[in-house]
Amino acid sequence: MMIQVSGLNKIYNSGEHPVHALIEVNLEVKAGEFVSVMGPSGSGKSTFMNILGGLDTPTSGSYRLDGIEISSLDDTGMAKVRNRKIGFVFQNFNLLPRMTALRNVEMPMLYAGLNARERVKKATTALERVGLAGRIDHRPNQLSGGQIQRVAIARALVNEPAVLLADEPTGNLDTRSGEEIMAIFQDLNRSGATIVLVTHELDIALHTSRIIHFRDGRLEADEKVENPLDAVEQLKKLGPAHQNSPRSGEISAPGALTEAVPHSQTLSAEQGRKGDAR
Amino acid sequence: MSLLESIRVALEGIRANKLRSFLTTLGIIIGIAAVIAVVAIGQGGRAVLMSEMEKVGTNIFAIYPDWQSGEQPSGRSFDLSDVQVLKDKVPGISDLSANSVTMDDVRGSKDKKYSQVWGVSAEYEHIRKLNIKNGHFFSKEDDSLGRRVAVLDQALAEEIFGRSEPVGNKVSIGSTPYLVVGVVAKGDSMLGFSEEARAFIPSRSWTNMFGPYINNLEGSAVSREKVQEAMDQAVKVLERRHRDNKYISYSMEQQMQSANKITGIMTLIIGAIAGISLFVGGIGVMNIMLVSVTERTREIGIRKALGARRKDILTQFLIESVVLCVLGGVIGMILGAGGAYLIAKVAKWPPLVSWWTALLAFTFSAAIGIVFGILPANKAAKMDPIEALRRD
Repeated sequence: MMIQVSGLNKIYNSGEHPVHALIEVNLEVKAGEFVSVMGPSGSGKSTFMNILGGLDTPTSGSYRLDGIEISSLDDTGMAKVRNRKIGFVFQNFNLLPRMTALRNVEMPMLYAGLNARERVKKATTALERVGLAGRIDHRPNQLSGGQIQRVAIARALVNEPAVLLADEPTGNLDTRSGEEIMAIFQDLNRSGATIVLVTHELDIALHTSRIIHFRDGRLEADEKVENPLDAVEQLKKLGPAHQNSPRSGEISAPGALTEAVPHSQTLSAEQGRKGDAR
Repeated sequence: MSLLESIRVALEGIRANKLRSFLTTLGIIIGIAAVIAVVAIGQGGRAVLMSEMEKVGTNIFAIYPDWQSGEQPSGRSFDLSDVQVLKDKVPGISDLSANSVTMDDVRGSKDKKYSQVWGVSAEYEHIRKLNIKNGHFFSKEDDSLGRRVAVLDQALAEEIFGRSEPVGNKVSIGSTPYLVVGVVAKGDSMLGFSEEARAFIPSRSWTNMFGPYINNLEGSAVSREKVQEAMDQAVKVLERRHRDNKYISYSMEQQMQSANKITGIMTLIIGAIAGISLFVGGIGVMNIMLVSVTERTREIGIRKALGARRKDILTQFLIESVVLCVLGGVIGMILGAGGAYLIAKVAKWPPLVSWWTALLAFTFSAAIGIVFGILPANKAAKMDPIEALRRD
C-alpha cells in the first residue's frame, strides 16, 4: 500500500472555537493508482493534501507513506520525505522566476545532495520527458502557462518520488493546455506513477481512475471511474491548436510565480458541458 | 545543499537586486575602508616616529635627580667629577655628558637673541649624533680647561650673524665673550631637536659662569641591550656618591616603548570609532535581509515543499548576508588601502596596509554578515511552508 491513512483528525485551535478540518479520515491508495480528490472549498481537501504532502501534521491518527509513518517525524524527517517521497505540482506553478527551467528542475536534487553533473543530466531527462527539450534555458516568463506547468511536473518527477501530488494543476490553464497536462499525468500513471490530484472540475477528475469526495471534513464518497477520459483523445476532439484556441500553449505567463488568477467560471462551464455530452 | 551552490544562489540574488545590494553594503564598505585607512595611517605614523627616534639613537639615556622622592634639588645632585667616575665604574657606558641649561642673551655680529645656553661635555656631539656644518665641536680639553668656546646651532647662527660666517668670530653670552668654533647643521628630524635656537658651551665653562647647577647626565650605552643595565649601575654609583639624593633614569628605548603604546592606543580608539560605523552598516544589512526574507516568503515555501530543511534555508540566507558583507569588505578594503596610500604619499609616510589588517577586515566583515544575518535567516527558516506558499 502506497498511502495508508487511518483515523486521521486535524483540529485548528487558532480561533475561539476549535475547527475540525478533518474528521476520522480513512483512505488507502495502492501503488500505481491515479486518484482525484474533489470537494467544495472548506471541505478539508486542502488540509488533507497538505498532510499527504508532509507540509502539515495531523492532530491525531496515522499516515503511512510508502511504509513510513509520517505523523511522527520531526522537521528534518518531514523535509526528507517531501524531498524523496513526494513530488508537488501546484495550481500557480510555483517556479522561481529568476531561474531557468533547468535550474528550477535541479532544485529538489540540490536538497537531495546530488552533484552538478548528475543534476543537469537528470533534469534534462525530466524536461525531455515532458516535451520541453528545447526550452531548458528559458525562464518562466519566456514560457507559456502550459509549458510552465510542464516544467513544474518535471521538477516533481526528478527525484523519482513515491507519489505525485497535484493541487489543481489545470486550474490556471486553458482547456487545451489543461488536457495536455492531463495527458502527461496519464502517461506517467501508465508507466507506474502513483498520482493524487485535487480538482473541483469533474471533467478533470474523470481522467483519473478513482474519485474521492470530501465534505465538511469527512471523506464522504469513494467511487471508481469505469472508463476514464483519455486526454489524447480529448485533444484530438479539440482539433488543431490554432482553430479552437489560437493562444493555446502560447499564453505567456509573466510573473508565473505570483500569478494567482481565480479559476475561470466559463472554462469550467464549458468543460462541464463537454463532460455531459459524453 | 552544498556551500558552493549556496554561494551561487546568493550571488544570483545579489545580482538580481544590484542597486539595493550596493546600498545595503555601503555601510560595510565605508566602515571597512575607514578601519583599513585609519589603521594603515596609524601604522605609518608610528613607523615614522620610530625611525625618527632611531635616528636620534636607540641606546641613549639620561639620569635626572628624582624630584618626587626628595626635596627640591639642591643643585648638588651632580658634580662634574661624576662624569669621569661613572665612565670608569660602569663598563656599559660609551659616552657621557653633564648637561646644564639656562636662558641668556647671545649676541653675534648682527643681532642678539635670548636663547638657550647649554653646558655640555665634548662627548655630547657623539651622543646626539650632531652634524657639524662648519668648524668643529669643542674638545675634551676645551671642556676640562673650561675654555670660552661655543658651538651654535644653525638657527641661532643665522639669526645673530646673518650671512656672515660665525666660526672664528666672537659671541657674547651675557657679557662674557666666547669664540665660536662650530655650527650644528639643521637636522632633518621631525621631532624638533634641531629647530630651536641653542648655544653649546663646555660644561666647565658653564658652571664657572652660572654656578654648579648640573641639570642631568646624558649618555649612550655601548649597545641597545646594555642601556638598562648601564643606567641602573650609574644610578647606584651616583646614590653612593651623593647620599642625600635619589635619581631617576630615562632611556630612548623606554620612550620608544611608550610612544609605541600611545600610537597603539590612538589607533585603537580611532579604529573603534570606525568600528561603530561597521556596526551601523551591519544593522543596515540586517534590515535589508529582513525585507528580502519577507519578499521571498513564497520562494522559501517552494524550497521547503521541495525538501529544504530549516538548516538549508538558514544557511542560504546566512550565506547571502555573508557574501554581501564580504563583497562590501573587499570593496572597502580596496578603497581604504587606496585612501591610506594617498594620505601616506602626501604625508610622506610609508603606506602600511599589512596582510593582517586585510585578513582582519575580511574576517570581520564575514562575522558581521553572520551576526546580523542570523536573525533574518532564522526568521526565514522558521516559516511555515503552508503559510509561505499561500503568500503572494
